[in-house]
Order: sequence, then structure tokens, then C-alpha cells
Amino acid sequence: MTDDPIWRRDFPYTAEGEEEVTRREFARYLVLASGAFAGGSGLVSLWASLRRVNTGAPTPVVELSAVAVGGSHLFGYPTDDDPAILVRVDEDLLLAFSQKCTHLGCVVFWSPAERQFECPCHEGFFSLDGRPIAGPPERPLTRIDVEVRDGMVWALGAGAHGEAT
Amino acid sequence: MIAPGRRRAIAGAILVYVTLILTLQIFLVSVAAEGFLAGEPALAWSATALSAGLAGVAALFYRFLRDE
Repeated sequence: MTDDPIWRRDFPYTAEGEEEVTRREFARYLVLASGAFAGGSGLVSLWASLRRVNTGAPTPVVELSAVAVGGSHLFGYPTDDDPAILVRVDEDLLLAFSQKCTHLGCVVFWSPAERQFECPCHEGFFSLDGRPIAGPPERPLTRIDVEVRDGMVWALGAGAHGEAT
Repeated sequence: MIAPGRRRAIAGAILVYVTLILTLQIFLVSVAAEGFLAGEPALAWSATALSAGLAGVAALFYRFLRDE
């Protein structure tokens, strides 16, 4: 043992022992990382459960007579910073959605000729009921409930993506 | 009594399993995030439940490795 270097006396581990310790330590870090990922998933789930998706208080949007049949009206809901679009499909049917494309958040617009929503950024297309029909978006637009009260269109709140309430 | 060579093989195998579990955990976090973005908490909770189970399995593997 006297021929051993000083560091060997200070750290008297054999090569085999070193390997085992290293593997165990490495495994420990991996297990800790695994637990951290599980905890992260839990936090994300908790956040998903607790948050309220794009909800808002009942708000007057526009006079019904100001929106032509087949036409659309842009407004902000639930705040002015949240772009939304109201479409008057026919005399009695009104639909409203968040304008944020569910792909990367670009603003979608209404195409009266095609009777669909289009996202110009990456050519995403949504059907009349907000469901994705072509392009990269995979989730439907967020629906906003609307109602006509005394000739005024009111936004009543929004559900999750595509949730018709 | 387990021979040292076999012990190393067991430790290596456990390390591979734990690494695979960690890879799945990364995938499950992305699934939970997708559930969050899609407004589907049930999807996120399902991913979390599976993730927690895998973390438990990884902990059992580590405990075996530590005690062995």
C-alpha cells in the first residue's frame, strides 16, 4: 500500500467500488428527476383544474341590427385585450369565438364565402362551429356564448375549447 | 450472496430501467401540458397519475439498488 499515491490513501476506493457508487448516485439523481417530473405534471394538472378558461362577465357586444346576415363583428372578450369574433350565420343564429388560433395564437378571421374561419399565419381552417378542419391547428376555437337581449347581443361567458354551452 | 460481476449487471439493468422511466416522464409532462393547453384537466390528471406511478417504480428500483 505504501506505493499507492496520496490521493489513493485519501480516497481508498477500488475501481469496482467507485463504479457501484457512481451508478447508485446516478440512479439516485435519475429517480429524483423522475419524482420532479411527476411533481411538475401534478402542478400543471392542478393549474389546469383551477384556472377558468377565458371566462368573463356578461357584456354587451353590439346591436344585432349592426351585424349583417353572413357578416361578422370583432370585439374584445372577456377583456379588450382578448380578441373575439361574432358571426351572424343567419337571421337567428349567432356564433362567437375567441379569435386566437389554437395553433400559435394568430388572429383568425371569418370568410363569408367559404363559411369558415381562417388563420392566415399558417393556413389553418376552422369550421362554422370552431372545429379545426385543415392546417396545423388541432384544437377547436374557444367558444363564447352569446344571447340577444332587447336587440343587443351579449357575450355571456366562454367555456373550454370548442365547448358549446 | 450475489457475485460482484452479477451485482454490476443488476445495477446496470436498473439504471437502464430508471432511464427509460425518466424518458417516459418527460413525455408525460408534455401530455400534461397538452391537457392544460387543451383545457382538459382529466387528460393532465391521467398523465400525472401515470407519472406518479412510474416515479414510485423508479424509487423502488433505487431502493432495491441501495439495499442490494
